[in-house]
Amino acid sequence: MRGKFWRTESVVAYLFMVPASVFLLVFMFYPIVYVILMSFFRVNKLGDLMSFSGWANFRFMFDKPEFWQVVLRSCIWTAIAVAVKTGLGLVIALLLNVEFLGKKLARTLVIIPWASSVPISAMIWQWTYNNDFGLLNHTLRVLGIWKNPPIWLAEPGSAFAANLWVDIWCGIPFMALVFLAGLQAIPQELYEAAEVDGATSWTKFRFVTLPLLSGVLTVATLLSTLWTFNDFNVIYVLTAGGPGTSTDILITYIYKYAFQYLRFGPAAAMAVITFAILLTVSIIYARSYFKEGAF
Amino acid sequence: MKKWMAVGLVVVFLLGLVMGASAQKKKVSVLWAEYDGLTPDYAANLESAFEKEYPDIDLNIISTPWDKMHDRLISFVAGKQPPDLSVIGTRWLLELMDMGVVEPIEQWLSKDLLNNIDPALMEGKIKGVLYGLPVAAGTRLMYYRSDLIDKAPETFEEMLQIAQKINKPEEKFYAVGMSGKKYVELTEYAYYLFGNGGYFFEILPDGSYGKCTVNDEAGVGALTFMNDLVNTYKVTQPGVAAYRRDELQDLFISGNLGIFFSGGFTAALLEQRGAQFQWSVAPMPHFEGKPQSTIIITDSIVLFKDSQVKAEAAKFLDFFYSDPWRLEFDKLVGFPPVTKSLANDSFFQKPVYQVMIQQIPGAKGWPLMPEWPECNDIIWDNIVATFLGEKTPQKAMDDAAQEIDSIRGM
Repeated sequence: MRGKFWRTESVVAYLFMVPASVFLLVFMFYPIVYVILMSFFRVNKLGDLMSFSGWANFRFMFDKPEFWQVVLRSCIWTAIAVAVKTGLGLVIALLLNVEFLGKKLARTLVIIPWASSVPISAMIWQWTYNNDFGLLNHTLRVLGIWKNPPIWLAEPGSAFAANLWVDIWCGIPFMALVFLAGLQAIPQELYEAAEVDGATSWTKFRFVTLPLLSGVLTVATLLSTLWTFNDFNVIYVLTAGGPGTSTDILITYIYKYAFQYLRFGPAAAMAVITFAILLTVSIIYARSYFKEGAF
Repeated sequence: MKKWMAVGLVVVFLLGLVMGASAQKKKVSVLWAEYDGLTPDYAANLESAFEKEYPDIDLNIISTPWDKMHDRLISFVAGKQPPDLSVIGTRWLLELMDMGVVEPIEQWLSKDLLNNIDPALMEGKIKGVLYGLPVAAGTRLMYYRSDLIDKAPETFEEMLQIAQKINKPEEKFYAVGMSGKKYVELTEYAYYLFGNGGYFFEILPDGSYGKCTVNDEAGVGALTFMNDLVNTYKVTQPGVAAYRRDELQDLFISGNLGIFFSGGFTAALLEQRGAQFQWSVAPMPHFEGKPQSTIIITDSIVLFKDSQVKAEAAKFLDFFYSDPWRLEFDKLVGFPPVTKSLANDSFFQKPVYQVMIQQIPGAKGWPLMPEWPECNDIIWDNIVATFLGEKTPQKAMDDAAQEIDSIRGM
């Protein structure tokens, strides 16, 4: 068997895999393993492991009431953002799937938020939200829609909503494009057959489009969940977790502990918790995906 | 064929020469702070002028916004890739010393350079060892609209009276600027705290820091007054929690604020941007019956232990601290000169520099302790909680002091 292996072309395939494998080991697996180790060690300010501390870093975080607020906020942030991105993305995809004049232009416009760098988009939105010079409140006042609009980034509730909207705005194009690709893969004959059977637009959507799009929906929402849960850029640029800590989510909280306070141990513990949450979500998604027989 | 081979060999030889020459160049990296007022041109010109004078050194100035400096530097250091030199807030020095990454700098400096620095500004000297060369130092002061305010207030109580007269929120003109969004450090609270005779920690007889004292009478009084300005008298710009210091500065420069506390860089920016109103500067106000005091902020430049080009880095320091480059730098950033050779330059006789120098005797610096970034955030979060009506000033400062003492094991 060994001789056969070396005689066959598989050796070439393995050789081709070596660079990618080394890359993955060095840049993916090693940092993951190191962060897991850090979470169980007392770590100095350079990130070196000093002594085994068991669950001390986890206990430190669990004892902080603020930590649980941040975890809850991360879940709410992700749930709302992914739901809205999915809903609006689907609506936009359905609209872009219809023939109309200017369809190419519309598709180009839709992709712009996705093509732009997220920090730059967030900075533009930061100016838009500015109470003194920003376009949003000026427009609301001039059009008489809202005489005294909130100072969006000054209050916990409005700051959270403002951050959430920017994340949604940046994420919708991806969902729309993925759904559009999924829609275009649905055979036209199915719709024609449904029409012959007297199906309405809603029933065609309910019994043809949605079932055939479910695989794409699952994968896209899973990816969106992972990205949204870890979306650092928008919050960091817009509010840096403020006012106070009212817009901190796990990822910004980890950053503060690691790079502002140099407390790598608790930061690593939070990173492990984040990893566990996202792994659980991924496993649930994957089980449901394969159970439905999408493959 | 032979001809082509010959040409090829010549090309390879020339390439080898070029690559060899560049390989011999010593690379010096400098993490460079983009102070308000400092232009990108300055760093680019400094880099090219230095490389012209020292062709064997490849200088790399890594320009970084001031509010990102701490985190970026820590990322470099934690990634075991520190630059050779870095500008730091001097209060970060203990943190870096705790990490064991900074080099005593004095041995690498030329005598001319050392003799040219005012010893009073050597805040980077810890237990007799110089780790940081002062790059900028200055006290914070009050900017006010001299076209609207006849006489600058000396006390915060006077300031409040003036503020109530000039405040016109319906015209988007606000009497006092207040920043509540984090921007490196909580200077805003320090102005009121120091003006009320307070400090962040008790100072023990041996000079070390004791318990956190922001919940004492001075600390709570300072926050109560700030909160009254925001929520009771409403003489600040609305939504203070959304404003960083630099955004507040823009609001003053655009003519929307009557009084604003800042550093010398604001004067440089007001001139650069051609402000369309009359403004002046005055010492930082204090509370009635309390001594005048403001914060003095010094920044330093440090050399890292891991640097393989310490001698070359020192050459850069000699170059940067030479009069022409320092004069331009000082003019742009608005700090008084740290070099003796520029002290009497006519440019620094302006009121803004005079006020900054006048305040030095009563000024206090930031606490020098490794935990300060976290303590800073804790106090700030509690101040914002007060502004948002979530906590009373007393409760906010009690919570802050308790958490800080707990972090410091007290």
